Amino acid sequence: MNSHRSFVFLGCGALLGLLMAGYSLFTARGTSTLIVPPEDVALVNQQPISRSDYLQQLQTLFGVDLAHATKEQRQKVLNDMIREELFVQRGKELDVASTDPDVRAALVNAVELEIAADAVTAQPTESQLQAYYNTHRERYAGEGIMSVRDYVFPSGESAVAAVEALKLSAPTPALLTQWHASDSGKVADEEFYFAVKIHLGESLFEIARHLSDGEVSAPIARADGIHVLYVFKNRRPLAFDFAAARDHVLTDYRNDAIGHLRTGDEAFLRKRANVLIADDVHQ
Amino acid sequence: MRISLLLAASACIMAAVLLYSSGRESRLLRADPDSISRNSTLETFALSRGAPLFELHCASCHGVQGEGDSRRGVPALNDGDWLYGSGLVSDIEQVIKFGIRSYHPRAWNLAIMPAYARPRPSSRDGKIAPLSPQDIRDLVEFLYRAQGRTADAAAALRGAALFTGVGGCYDCHAVDAKGDSAIGAPDLTDRITLYGDGSRESLSLSISQGRHGLCPAWVNRIGPAGIREVAVFVHSLSGAG
Repeated sequence: MNSHRSFVFLGCGALLGLLMAGYSLFTARGTSTLIVPPEDVALVNQQPISRSDYLQQLQTLFGVDLAHATKEQRQKVLNDMIREELFVQRGKELDVASTDPDVRAALVNAVELEIAADAVTAQPTESQLQAYYNTHRERYAGEGIMSVRDYVFPSGESAVAAVEALKLSAPTPALLTQWHASDSGKVADEEFYFAVKIHLGESLFEIARHLSDGEVSAPIARADGIHVLYVFKNRRPLAFDFAAARDHVLTDYRNDAIGHLRTGDEAFLRKRANVLIADDVHQ
Repeated sequence: MRISLLLAASACIMAAVLLYSSGRESRLLRADPDSISRNSTLETFALSRGAPLFELHCASCHGVQGEGDSRRGVPALNDGDWLYGSGLVSDIEQVIKFGIRSYHPRAWNLAIMPAYARPRPSSRDGKIAPLSPQDIRDLVEFLYRAQGRTADAAAALRGAALFTGVGGCYDCHAVDAKGDSAIGAPDLTDRITLYGDGSRESLSLSISQGRHGLCPAWVNRIGPAGIREVAVFVHSLSGAG
């Protein structure tokens, strides 16, 4: 009786094992299957066509979801996707990447993006970001703001006299008329540092940058006359604290991580590759 | 004998659970994602599996309850305000799969907020010109007025001209400043702030320095069923489940 029961259990176990093996065999990825996995809508030479891509294509082409799509619409999308997969597979067989520069560029780009996508999945900790910010603190600052006037004088004497007057009071139209000065009109009322630099030129900006509110420069000789800079307001760039800079710190941190990963991947590919270089090129 | 019996029974139960679970997983994957919430069995199954996955992969940024963090520009997922798409499970699923500015070729990466206080505000669009400090103050006043807050009327008027003119803001945020969820441009009229506390300073910082948050692509990192389960869970966080 006992041995009979043992055989029954043995048989049940074997049957169960077979069922599980069969299920795995017919549904697992990477093996030849006879059943389309639930996440796909078709298998083309064992290459899956994703269900979500299919649904998205239905939405893009016809603006409908699966429940509202007609049989023709479903068939059209499915046929298009099968056709694309067949042509991609044929392209691989023909090795079009070896001859078509567009395919080569697309492949290089896709691999680079894949490496970058790997890098961004890893979320750095706050302490890692803080350490990165501390190391590259100089990157995280706002733009300075300046309100400056650029006056042009016909002679050095008038410029020197005007500078002395401007040290005592802000410029007035009367004062400028008295010394025959004109506003170059290059800068607007208030500008960011980079705009002042573009408008005044690098050398005049360098002088203006070091002046504080209400300060006037010494006369500066230029081809078009003698320039005098009067700074009404100069707000120097303020360093962002970690909280304000965090978004940019994270971006920079990730970009660095992507760069490292790409370099590492390239080194790995070179290491495992068998690259032969012609003697005449190598020399 | 008793041990064999127990072992056989355990094996049978495990196999049954495995088959039952994979059967539900298949049904979940084959179901129309936007109708899962109408099937309580499937939804419960998805939620029970989606919650731990969310905690493992998403909670470090979005918070365990999907509350987000405006100090870090992480959107809340529990407020019913959807930056990308309209909050359908299928929309959420696509975001989880391909990410936002994730470097995946199919990621959402059309909208990048330019840094208007930089010589070249946008690395992609050379036509976008920088703005002056006064321009940025005017835009902030315009946004304050658009949100129904007290604002300098003259500055807001100048800001409105910038918004639909040289600033080019309308291009992403739409002429009425209500945003465009097709590209992830936030509604600027609703006081839901992605970055900062909505103060003049934080709005000014966003306009000056630009914004471009990132969500990784989870395709090939979480399986198709897992992605759908997380999508159903995220959908439920907004109270829409």
